[in-house]
Parts: sequence; C-alpha cells; structure tokens
Amino acid sequence: MAANREGQEENKDRYYKTLHGNKTLLQSEKLYEYILETSVYPREPQCLKEIRELTDKHPWSAMMTAPDEAQFLSMLLKLINAKNTMEIGVFTGYSLLATALAIPDDGKILALDITKEHYEKGLPIIQKAGVAHKIDFREGPALPLLDQLIQDEKYHGTFDFVFVDADKNNYINYHKRLIELVKVGGVIGYDNTLWGGSVVAQPDADLDELILGWRDSVQELNKALAVDPRIEICQLSIADGVTLCRRIG
Amino acid sequence: MASNAEDQQNQQGGHKEVGHKSLLQSDALYQYILETSVYPREAESMKELRELTAKHPWNVMTTSADEGQFLNMLLKLVNAKNTMEIGVYTGYSLLATALALPDDGKILAMDINRENYELGLPVIQKAGVAHKIDFREGPALPVLDLLIQDEKNHGSFDFIFVDADKDNYLNYHKRLVELVKVGGVIGYDNTLWNGSVVAPPDAPLRKYVRYYRDFVLELNKALAADPRIEICMLPVGDGVTICRRIK
Repeated sequence: MAANREGQEENKDRYYKTLHGNKTLLQSEKLYEYILETSVYPREPQCLKEIRELTDKHPWSAMMTAPDEAQFLSMLLKLINAKNTMEIGVFTGYSLLATALAIPDDGKILALDITKEHYEKGLPIIQKAGVAHKIDFREGPALPLLDQLIQDEKYHGTFDFVFVDADKNNYINYHKRLIELVKVGGVIGYDNTLWGGSVVAQPDADLDELILGWRDSVQELNKALAVDPRIEICQLSIADGVTLCRRIG
Repeated sequence: MASNAEDQQNQQGGHKEVGHKSLLQSDALYQYILETSVYPREAESMKELRELTAKHPWNVMTTSADEGQFLNMLLKLVNAKNTMEIGVYTGYSLLATALALPDDGKILAMDINRENYELGLPVIQKAGVAHKIDFREGPALPVLDLLIQDEKNHGSFDFIFVDADKDNYLNYHKRLVELVKVGGVIGYDNTLWNGSVVAPPDAPLRKYVRYYRDFVLELNKALAADPRIEICMLPVGDGVTICRRIK
C-alpha cells in the first residue's frame, strides 16, 4: 500500500467501493432489500435514519454498520440486559446510537476511535436523541487504552457487551484484552468476519490490496476464536459476518 | 455467470440438500462458516443426530447446524428455562435447546409425527437431557388453545421456537404472543423461504415452495406491523425471525 497519507486515502476509497460493491453476502441483493424493506426500515428510529442518510453521503459510507446488523445488535443488547458496554470503531456513530438507544438510561458506552472527525458529524443527532450522556468517547488507538484498563483489576469482567468494528489486523490483539474485560456470560461481537466473502476466494483471486491485506488477519482471527476455550462462538452471516463470542471461563 | 444463474434456479426450485442449505452468495462461503466455526464446536450428540437425520428421506426439513449453534447461544444468553418448540422432526433443534437449558429447564415439544422424534430420541437420551422434554404428538393449535384458557400459562414461556406448518404460523402467533413472557422470545423459522419471497412471478418454484410462500409473505408483513413485539429477521438457515415481546 502507498506509504503517504494521500495514497492511503485513495486506497481506502477504492476498497470501500469494491469490497462493499456487493451490498450483501446473501444470494441476491433483492433478498437483502426485502429484509430491509419488510423488517428493518419500518422499525428504524428516526434518529438512526438521520445518521444513515448523513453517512450515505460520505465517500467511506460502506464502513457504516449495516442497518439490519444494527437492528440485531439492538435486540441482542435488550435480550441480555446490557448496561455497561464498549465499542471499538465508531465512524459516524450508527451502531453507537443503536446501542445507546437499547441500553437503560444509566447505561454506559466506552466508545473508541482513532479519530473523532466522523463521530462529531453524528454527535448532534445522538444528542438530539437524548442519549449522548451514556457515551464516553475517547479519540486515539484502542490498544493503549485497553492496556490501561487491563492493568487495573477492578475493570476485569465489568463489560456486558463489547462490539469491535475496527482495524482487522488488530482484532486478535484486542481479543487478548477484551476476554479479560468482558464479564463471564458477557458477549464480544467481532464485525466483518466474513470479509466480503473473500475468506473463501481463491489464493490468486484479483482482490483489492486492502482486502487482501486484511483477509489473512480475518482468517487467522476466525481460526483463533474457533479454538479459544474461554468462549462459545456463533458466526452469523448477517451483513459482512459478525462473530458473537460468549465468555464462559 | 452461467453456473451462478443455474445455482440460483436450483436454489429457488426447492430447498437444497442438508448441509448445503443456505441463503448465502455461495455454498463455499456457507461451508467456510460450518467448517471454521460450527462443526469444530458441535456437541458429539448433535453431530450424531445430524448424521442420523441426513439418512432420512425428509432430511431437508432439519434445522441446520449453524442455526442450531445460534439457538443454543441465544438460549444461554437469555437464561431461558421454560421453553416450547412447535415442529420437532428428528429433534436437532430440540437437542440444541435441551443442551442449552439448565438441568431443571423444560421444553414443551409438539409435532404431528412421533415416529421421527423417536428416531432421534435415543441420541437425546444418551446426551442425558431427555428428562427436560415433554413431547406431545398431534396438531399444536388445540394444545395452545388449552394453554391459553388457563391464565396462569400466560407469559410463562421464556422462549418459543416455531418450525412447522407455515400456513398456521399466524394462528400460532395469536396464541404465542400471550404465552411468551414480556421480554421473552418467539423464533419463527423459514421466514425467507429459500429466497422465494423475492422470486419473480414466473420463477420455476417447487409446488410446496410456491404454496407456502404466500403464507410466509403474510406472516412477515404481520410480524413487522405487530406493536406487541420487536423483530429481527436473520438470514441464518432459511431465515429466522426473532420476536421479542415488549407488551
């Protein structure tokens, strides 16, 4: 990949247009649209719609959590009575807002992203929805912060739910820490674990550099999660693939 | 691409064979999920039951392994204890449920056919969880109507899984929404019906697919508009709609 920032931006643009050129991993876009039109959009809160429409104009719009996935996360959070959560990778805050709407009024979300530029675009909408007080946003790379939390015993096992939707090459590093921070019985969700379907592409397939670059990380992560005895897993084919990990030990 | 179009036609014709039944863009991707995340984790008893069922002529009816894994996790996440299952077949999802519940958990399991259940029962017994199951042979509606008559049954179920005759789902729903507790979950299986929910009018569908499709479409519309539940339509298996009762 190009070393300079401009080159990286270019690559990102290409990636987000190609990988997510296929809007779905399902057998047809029509089927995906059916799910959205029948069960998702009619139920989508106005504020989420607003963030989605704002984000659609962004060149990296494909990075946004899919609306069907956000609906699923929202239901999951309610089903497990989540109160203390974490999100790594915020972008404009679509899944963050979905989370904030799902947890109780005294619920908390520790939200991490290397930049607050996009978060600040979504924040007014989150504020208007009356749930911004639940969010503790930290700008910067996640690993140093996780290491800080890990150092203090009192944070171990304190999170009900953690959602990771960030740099795939670091997922396995996040996992080493998150497994201590999430409570026993709690859930970590890793996003994009089917990576546009590239996990089964032929080795010599003509894939974008960025996709290829992270594909190995995703495949390694999937293998590692599958054999981790401290969790039970479920790899859901919703959106770009999300693997739920329930801590058992 | 030619082979993709053919695949799609076949897919929409009828449900694909057991182990390959998915709504994903390719069977390869589905096998990846199964090989990477499902089979290595599958309980021995579930594997045994799955392999036994694969030999049965109606095996396409069975709950898929990835869906079994999902149900198992969901049940644990909601701490389910008192559950119901409508549509048992050889008992794959029933076993997934029984393994997830605590030792004093209970499953009211209904199917019009006891014979298929008895095929899988020895495996369930060997797994040490058969004591949780109360199996009733016969149509489900009369049983539900009986339950409904007694107020004490209202809101008494934590989780209900419906995988049966699609032309009765809405009738089941009328009763189940009273029987499941507020905050509890009803799961309706096959709500994407082999993808046929979006098939063009002239698509070559198998008779049974075409017949039940209208009922599935109606169910999906009704669930989406039902204010007593929140819903989530997951593309797991043949599509499963999770409904959380909110009032």
